[in-house]
Formats: sequence, structure tokens, C-alpha cells
Amino acid sequence: MPNTLADNPNIVIIGSSAGGPRILKSLFTGMPFLNGCILVVQHMPKFVNESLCAMLDGCTDMTVRLAEDGDKLEQGHVYLAPSEIHLELENNRTIRLHKGEKVNFVCPSVDITMKSAKKTPGALLIGIILTGMGKDGAQGVRYLKEIDGITMAQDEKTSVIFSMPREAAQTGAVDFILTPDEIREKLVELLGVVTPVNI
Amino acid sequence: MGHAVLVVDDDASVVNTVRRILEMHDITVETVESGDGCIQKLREGFKGVVLVDIVMPGMDGWDTIQAAVDGGFNQHVIFIMLTGKEVPDAKMDYLKEYVLDYITKPFDAKKLASVVKEYLAYLE
Repeated sequence: MPNTLADNPNIVIIGSSAGGPRILKSLFTGMPFLNGCILVVQHMPKFVNESLCAMLDGCTDMTVRLAEDGDKLEQGHVYLAPSEIHLELENNRTIRLHKGEKVNFVCPSVDITMKSAKKTPGALLIGIILTGMGKDGAQGVRYLKEIDGITMAQDEKTSVIFSMPREAAQTGAVDFILTPDEIREKLVELLGVVTPVNI
Repeated sequence: MGHAVLVVDDDASVVNTVRRILEMHDITVETVESGDGCIQKLREGFKGVVLVDIVMPGMDGWDTIQAAVDGGFNQHVIFIMLTGKEVPDAKMDYLKEYVLDYITKPFDAKKLASVVKEYLAYLE
């Protein structure tokens, strides 16, 4: 029986670009089974999708898979946004993929995914911007902050390119600027760790 | 490993250093000294990791990648910038979906080999 979330789910949305694969690997290495689910929007060519999924899946107790249209969010799952299609949340429960114009020169866009989240009483919404060029995700974290979300950006020292985290921080809407290790620890602190019910 | 690394740089000392480092890790290395040379290699069917300098005579690194994308030569090719520019210029904005990483010179030999091996594994 899947761990489909009965109540409003805790949702983490992570955006990353150049340098993201190795920063994501660092972030997910040792990540326990969290009380929530994670969406990852990484700018990348399509042929890398499955390899990145497999790599991340081997790093964490959570289940990492490529998102599909209609996926119901499950606790302890990480959904990687496929290339060349935008990923949105429907009522914070269901993943919707749709073709669309590039936003911030990219598809999928972090802003699109973050702005599709809704404020949900009793559940945490967390937005995180990791390494990368440009400003994708900056408006997304601003939006998440406006609906009482918690926001983080990767620190300059560990960022391969600090442009995206800096743009996010300059909105004034970022709560924490952290290293990948500190982000993982903060997620554990905020969400808590649970035991998978189907193990 | 079945895939190789293509180094695109007009600086022979950088090319030789990168080649020596990667070949010590049993990675096959090919080299060209210009964007045109890179496109020719891709046209001939090169698949693997391409380490691209930004500042080169003729086509710069960004224009080289754009030409590869426009020509459809970027399938199963992972582009990583290997550059002296600490901060990328705005041209990168248009290529974010194609450039997976960014390494600045001077680079640590172990780290370079580790990053390249990691991306080669994505192509297996």
C-alpha cells in the first residue's frame, strides 16, 4: 500500500541549474525518509533525466523517481521534473505536467512549480534555491514566503554558480542561506523523519 | 567507460594538463583548439563529456554550444564549462538547459577527475 498522504502534505520544492547534479547528490546523500515529499526542478537535457534519478535514488532512504502527469504525492518520495515540460501542483496533491513557453529561458521553470503551490493549513511549504545561473526561482521563493512558506538558498561558498541563490536572496524573501549539508539538517529538523509504512 | 572527454580550449598548456589528469584515470581524451573543431567532432558523432573554454578565438564557448544545439549535435553530450571566468556572462542564460556544470581554472586535479567521472557515469 503506497504512503499516499492522507492529510495536507508537507512539500519541499528545490530548484537548481548549472552544478546542480553534484550539489543535489551532496544534499541527498544520507537524507532520511522525511515526513513529506520533495519536488526537484533541475535544468538539464532530457537524456540525463533517468541517470540523475537513479543516482539520487541511490543516495537517500527516500524514493526518487521521474515525475509523471497525474502522480499523487506520496510521503517519502522525491519527484524529479522531466525536461522540456513544466511541472505544476494541483491542490498540493497531484502533479500536472504541461507543455509551455520557456520561462526565465527554461522549461521546466522553478518559478512555475513554486507558484503552483497553495497555502495549506497544518502543512509546511518549503522552497530551496541551489546553484545556477540566472534568476529562475527568485519569484517562486518570494511567492512561497507570501503564503507563509519557509525559504532557503544555497550559500555562495558551496555554490558552483551563486547567481540563482543570490537573486533569490535579493528578493528579501529567503529565511536561511545554508550549505547543502545544513539544508539537509534543516529539512530533518523542520519535517521530521518517519518510518515507511510499507517496509 | 565507453564514452570519452573532448577538451575544447585554445590554450595548449591547459589541454595537455587536462589530458594528463584524465588519462591517469583511464579516461579517453580527445582535444580540439576551437569551437569549429568542436562542432566538427560532434558532427562526426562524438558522444561524451565536452569540457569547453569560454574565451577562444572565433566562436566562444557559448556560441559553440549554441551551434551544437542548433545543429542537433548535443544528444548524449554533456557540456561542462572549463574557464578562467569566475562569473559566467549573460550568454549562459540561454544555455542553462544544456550546460550541466561550470569549473573554474585553476582547478584541483582530483576534483576535475571526480566531476568528469561522475558525468561520464550519467551516459552509461
